[in-house]
Amino acid sequence: MNATTVVVLKAVAYLALVLFASPLLEGVMRKVKAIVHSRKGPPITQPYLDLAKLLVKEDVVSEPGPVARFAPPAAFACVLASAFFVPFGVSAPAGSAGDLFVFVYLVTLSTSCVMAAGLAQSSPFSHLGSSREMMMLITAEAVIVISLLGVAVGGHGALLSALAVSGFRWSSLVGLCCYLLAMQALLGKLPFDIPEAEQELMEGPFIEYSGPSLALFKWTFYMKQLVFGSLFFNLFVGWPRATGGSVVGGLLNFAVNFFAVVVLSLVVVLIDATNPRLRIDQSVRFFGGLIAVAALGVGLAALGW
Amino acid sequence: MSETSALLSTLGSHLGGKLLERSRLEASGALVATVAPNDLRDAARFIHESLDARFVISVGTDCRPMGQGFRVDHIFSQDRRRTWMVLRAFTGADDPKVPSITPEIRAAAWAEREFQDLLGIEAEGHPDPRRLVLADDWPASLHPLRRDVPYDIHPEPAVGQAQPLAPPPGDSVTVPIGPFFPVLEEPVFLKVFADGEEVVGLDYRGFFNHRGIEKLGDSKLTYNEVPFVAERICGICGFVHSTAYAQALENAVGAEVPLRARYIRSVVLELERIHSHLLWLGIAGHILGFDTVLMQTWRMREPVMWLMERITGNRKSYGMNLVGGVRRDIPANEHPEIVRVIERIEKEWLKIIEAVLEDTTLLMRLSKVGVLSTLDARELGSVGPTARGSNRPIDVRIDHPYAAYDRIPVHGIWKDTCDAAGRTLVRLEETLESIREVKQLLAEMPDGPIMRTFDEALPPGREGISAVEAPRGEVIHYVMTGDDARPYRWRVRAPTYANLQALGASLKGMRIADVPITLGSMDPCFSCTERMQVVDVRSGLVRVYSQRELHEMVRAGSGRGGAR
Repeated sequence: MNATTVVVLKAVAYLALVLFASPLLEGVMRKVKAIVHSRKGPPITQPYLDLAKLLVKEDVVSEPGPVARFAPPAAFACVLASAFFVPFGVSAPAGSAGDLFVFVYLVTLSTSCVMAAGLAQSSPFSHLGSSREMMMLITAEAVIVISLLGVAVGGHGALLSALAVSGFRWSSLVGLCCYLLAMQALLGKLPFDIPEAEQELMEGPFIEYSGPSLALFKWTFYMKQLVFGSLFFNLFVGWPRATGGSVVGGLLNFAVNFFAVVVLSLVVVLIDATNPRLRIDQSVRFFGGLIAVAALGVGLAALGW
Repeated sequence: MSETSALLSTLGSHLGGKLLERSRLEASGALVATVAPNDLRDAARFIHESLDARFVISVGTDCRPMGQGFRVDHIFSQDRRRTWMVLRAFTGADDPKVPSITPEIRAAAWAEREFQDLLGIEAEGHPDPRRLVLADDWPASLHPLRRDVPYDIHPEPAVGQAQPLAPPPGDSVTVPIGPFFPVLEEPVFLKVFADGEEVVGLDYRGFFNHRGIEKLGDSKLTYNEVPFVAERICGICGFVHSTAYAQALENAVGAEVPLRARYIRSVVLELERIHSHLLWLGIAGHILGFDTVLMQTWRMREPVMWLMERITGNRKSYGMNLVGGVRRDIPANEHPEIVRVIERIEKEWLKIIEAVLEDTTLLMRLSKVGVLSTLDARELGSVGPTARGSNRPIDVRIDHPYAAYDRIPVHGIWKDTCDAAGRTLVRLEETLESIREVKQLLAEMPDGPIMRTFDEALPPGREGISAVEAPRGEVIHYVMTGDDARPYRWRVRAPTYANLQALGASLKGMRIADVPITLGSMDPCFSCTERMQVVDVRSGLVRVYSQRELHEMVRAGSGRGGAR
């Protein structure tokens, strides 16, 4: 197989995985949450049914307009595109076309689309949700960026696929902890699901959205779980991989990586099920402290630790 | 009784010639002092401040058929002295008005607005005389609790009666919470004014589900039908209402209730408190997004519901109380099962208390949230765990013992943190106390009859007051007997009525994120509908199902029939 064929095949595999395996991940998480609750819970295929139902419904938006129209698909597309830069046990299909900064821009753009979608409506709840989303962006997302920077500094490069773990470093242990906590916030899980906060803001920025638009927002979050989970494993946690570039070895790595992401999502959902929601000011303070810790990680990496 | 005599003479010497008449409601332990309307404010201030009495409720009564115009009673409680004080004034049949006591006693604000709405007795000088209870389309001149207004009146909707809520102050924005909101189980509208995330003010509109139950009581139901309707005032703690009503009437006519019946009432009341507090903790968890708490406490609660079904025949609305006693015995062979169920809860509950005390994230969301100072709690008339979480040592079981609470020790639980965490801890510990009380009550329950036969031909004009410590706080029922085998006047005050008035004080300066849990920490219970309306959205037709239809629908739809 020539290199182009490999990239195309990988791209197709990535597309299929990110689009169609991410709801499954959500389904598993809901099931685990139900078990913690002593509930039976919905079948793990429920997120597919949810998406299918929303996608065929009428798209009712309180205040239609270009932002309301395009923000949901844009948020969706940004996360989908960002996946192509993230290694998944194998190097990413677009791994050499963009570095971690492209990834960060795409993810931030997606969050900004959510904010814009909330601000485009006139409900006070969606405005409050968007302003909270903004505060989460400049704190939690900053932690993610800084901990990724630490990896880049330590690995002397910015291409995510080239930064896969190699040996233990103190700086990456610090980065790992910061990333894991901030990821909880980016995925909209407790104790940090503050912008959506069902019991306070009735889903915040999403309150006025329904049908396909809402489906795209939900799907965006499902995909984020897969993308951020995979990034975590490839950048901070190492495990023995098949080497040599054979197709079987690649598929094996791919499968092991997916399994690892499922395991990680169990950790995410267990934290989610055992914590109440923090207030935005408490959360901002928490991540403010974490930014300092993550910056310390970058310093360690620069010193070669 | 010497203490009450002392109270009365203190009041007498303060009021001097202004005290027109004094009397006693012996069985209720209440003093009645009648003054002229113009002396109401002065007398109320004296009772509230110098006699350190807590304002409880106002009762307006249409006494025109008896040739006495309208009557206004302000009821106060002398906690610790086991005494009620009734400050009474009569006003003319035409253009009835009394001076408002709200400028002196903030806690009276709603009570006065209510008699203004329902009886048309104007509270002159009330700082906020807007409508409280009546719907926005109810005619202004029609006061439903007047004796000449039939209970089933259906007036033409009036326009222009809606009274606007306050506009947001300054640059703040309005965050509308309700009438339907995820964490409100019942409709209520809180107009919250926020500056960014900070709450700077609040306005309130409620009573969307007002069902006119008091009106039914004095025009349609007989003495012994009322307990069954009273029980349906609340969907969680209904037994407190049927008990309080029955006791008020028993007090009015001086009827002695068999001791075993009093023990049974206490047992059922405490079991109700246990399941209500379990329910509350779940809802509080849910409000904070902590659904694991919700699911686990409601799982724990379910065996209590089965237990209630086993000993009363119903999960809810037990139908146990009648005037003069209870309808079902709790035979000795049921006692081990009750003890087994509550001991299992006790074991799990201890673990939950430990988990809550160690959960720093949870405490971060409860500490210094919904702060209600001890002074505000007193001034605004807060009751129950809301007051006890603000270090107010009041508990009806101790202050005005009823049922079997004078037979067993009751340990009052209060916390001095004055916030949502304090109210949470009060409820957590109270549940353990209730478990202990149930065990002691069962162990010491005397033999004997459970019902005293009761003749419905009661002398008219007798009055009784009774209070019951509901899970949410003090429930007050006032009854005055009539001459057609039904109350002439029946007044109910649920604890949430008192507690909600403190919401404004405890929300000020909080964050928007704290509004739901502050409200939730008061365990509000707005009202519950006893029938369903189904509206066809397309045609706009309203269809009201009859009880039989609903019954049949339930039978057809549920696979689970009969007792478990």
